[in-house]
Amino acid sequence: MSKHNMSVTLTWLKTAPGLSIVISIAVAVAATIDAGPYLLVNMVVTGGMLALVATGLTLMLGVLNIPMFAHGEYFMIGSLTAYYIFTPISEFILEHPDSWLVTFGPFIAIIGALIGGAIAGVISEKLVFGPLRRRSTDNWVMNSFLLTVGVSVLLINLHQLIFGADFKGIVGYWQGMPISIADVYVSKDRVMSFLISAVIVALFYLFMTYTRTGMAIRAVSQDITGAEIVGIDIEKIVLLTISLACALAAVAGGSLLFMYPSYPTVGLEPLYMAWFVVILSGLGNILGAVAGAFMVALLKVITMEYVGAGWDFVVPSALIMLILIFKPSGIFGSDVRGVLDK
Amino acid sequence: MDTTTNDLNMNLFDRVLDKLCLTPIGLAGLILLLILPFIPPFNQEYMLRWLIYCGFIAAMSVGFDFTAGFINIVNFGYMAVAGTGGYTSALLVLNAGLSPWIAMLAGGVSSAILGLVIGMISLRLRGIFAACLSWFFGLAVMGLAIKMVWLTRGPLGLRVPRLFETESNFPFYFLIVILVYLTYLICKWVVRSKMGLAFQAIGQNMDAARTSGIDPVFYRVFNFTMSCAIAGVLGGFYAHFYGILTPDMMHTSKTVEVLAVAYIGGRGSLWGGAVIAFPFIFLMEIVRSTLSHLPGLNLVIYALVLILVMIYYPGGFSYFYDTHIRQPKNRALRYFLNGRDA
Repeated sequence: MSKHNMSVTLTWLKTAPGLSIVISIAVAVAATIDAGPYLLVNMVVTGGMLALVATGLTLMLGVLNIPMFAHGEYFMIGSLTAYYIFTPISEFILEHPDSWLVTFGPFIAIIGALIGGAIAGVISEKLVFGPLRRRSTDNWVMNSFLLTVGVSVLLINLHQLIFGADFKGIVGYWQGMPISIADVYVSKDRVMSFLISAVIVALFYLFMTYTRTGMAIRAVSQDITGAEIVGIDIEKIVLLTISLACALAAVAGGSLLFMYPSYPTVGLEPLYMAWFVVILSGLGNILGAVAGAFMVALLKVITMEYVGAGWDFVVPSALIMLILIFKPSGIFGSDVRGVLDK
Repeated sequence: MDTTTNDLNMNLFDRVLDKLCLTPIGLAGLILLLILPFIPPFNQEYMLRWLIYCGFIAAMSVGFDFTAGFINIVNFGYMAVAGTGGYTSALLVLNAGLSPWIAMLAGGVSSAILGLVIGMISLRLRGIFAACLSWFFGLAVMGLAIKMVWLTRGPLGLRVPRLFETESNFPFYFLIVILVYLTYLICKWVVRSKMGLAFQAIGQNMDAARTSGIDPVFYRVFNFTMSCAIAGVLGGFYAHFYGILTPDMMHTSKTVEVLAVAYIGGRGSLWGGAVIAFPFIFLMEIVRSTLSHLPGLNLVIYALVLILVMIYYPGGFSYFYDTHIRQPKNRALRYFLNGRDA
């Protein structure tokens, strides 16, 4: 460790991202010592799920400039797909407790959710976003936002119309004893869902950073005309982005089916939380979204612990409004400009 | 944008009509609304109840359009603001023994204060971020209404005395028609003045507006405060009409309803939403009550209409009216549709 590195770290610590990360880690540690490690476990599981949903949201905003209000509904589609795939599998498992499906059945359901989300994304691009993009580009952000509001209402009520409003949930994916980590018993499902989200976020990050397609996506998000000049097929990238973003939300819904049973408005809570994350962390910043996801998860868990259940919309949104007043571009920065900025 | 013309060859009737911001067809529509409850199928109490709901949404959509259509900021917590007005009014009547009429105005004041706060906070943000901020604000207010059980009785709801002591819905219907018209008139007066130009300039291009010497801070905050005050009074009406007030009223899905009507009616027209709300909401209520074994079907239709309008006809009904109906060859008809100054 040279002296130079030290001073770089110190200056980073003084910036908004550094400060907020350090403060959240400190708060997380303090709360864990005070209330017990289960708080940390809850935070990590919720944060992993939120990271998936928020990354998809960030991707949509960054690449396509669509402020997605319907993202929670892809979460719902994922959980619904996983439910209908996993129910027959779990019946089969009951009869044949030794089959390989005991271990791998849940993965089939979760991968099914991923595919279902991607297909839903492609369909919505073909039917909804594509036509709008071809017809008009002025006032695009607001129009597409209202369009996603319509999509959200449509999907919620289609779910209610076709599948009914009751809770479609499962007891758990993986049976067996909970795993003990540092004296806390954590159910296998939670560990697996965190692992799944961690692996997917990591893969996604690598994909965006190192592959040609990922670079193309980033190029489109930076400058769409420039990307077109270099010969990137915009339509293809757009389609890919939407299906990726929706698949990310759906996989979160699928892997959390044991916590959030599928019902028409199940997506609203992840949607609110993901928007908190996106606003908090700024736009088009995947790593920022991941960090922000854990911060929002921490906020939520701590609110539930110290203020009480049901306050988990009030306190985080109040805090985020406070942050927005002082830092309108989010903690990790983005180019949002307000009236007062020159 | 029509400005007041002091044309000498206008007769008294035209001048009065112009002051009242009505065209002859508008006047005819208003008269039709006033005699509607005496025409046979509509004179039943349940039909009147629906019509009153139509009127409520119509008035709300005018107030909503005042912000969304002019300064181009979607107030996504609009129903929460209205709910604040409703709760203030209800609590004043219940706890302080005020007359509902005065309490309604007090509700308007409380919502105006809320609007002032939202307007001030969202000053630093633009477009979608301001929308998100008002949305978070709405979520927080709704969370407060749910959790402050000692004051609001939470999800159980408040029992509120009605405005008129009768069981009949007739007086309420006339009151809401008057409120719809008053809302329209006040908004139109403001929009017709220099202020309206300033609003539009800010909505279209803030930098250009600032260069021309318009202070966006004042106009944005004023616009927000006024539209929220309208929402507050209407929220008071809602509370004192239904006689029961639950936090459900503040839900985002209710805002979506207002938003859909405002946009289908046509943004920036003020009258579009009010005109569309009556047939549209009424049809939806019929669908909801006759096809009650298919819950959610009305909202599916709702969402489909919103999506189709957003993609294929973003100008909404008022744009359609202006381009296709407004300029007929026949002079008498043209007078009927436009009034004298066309």
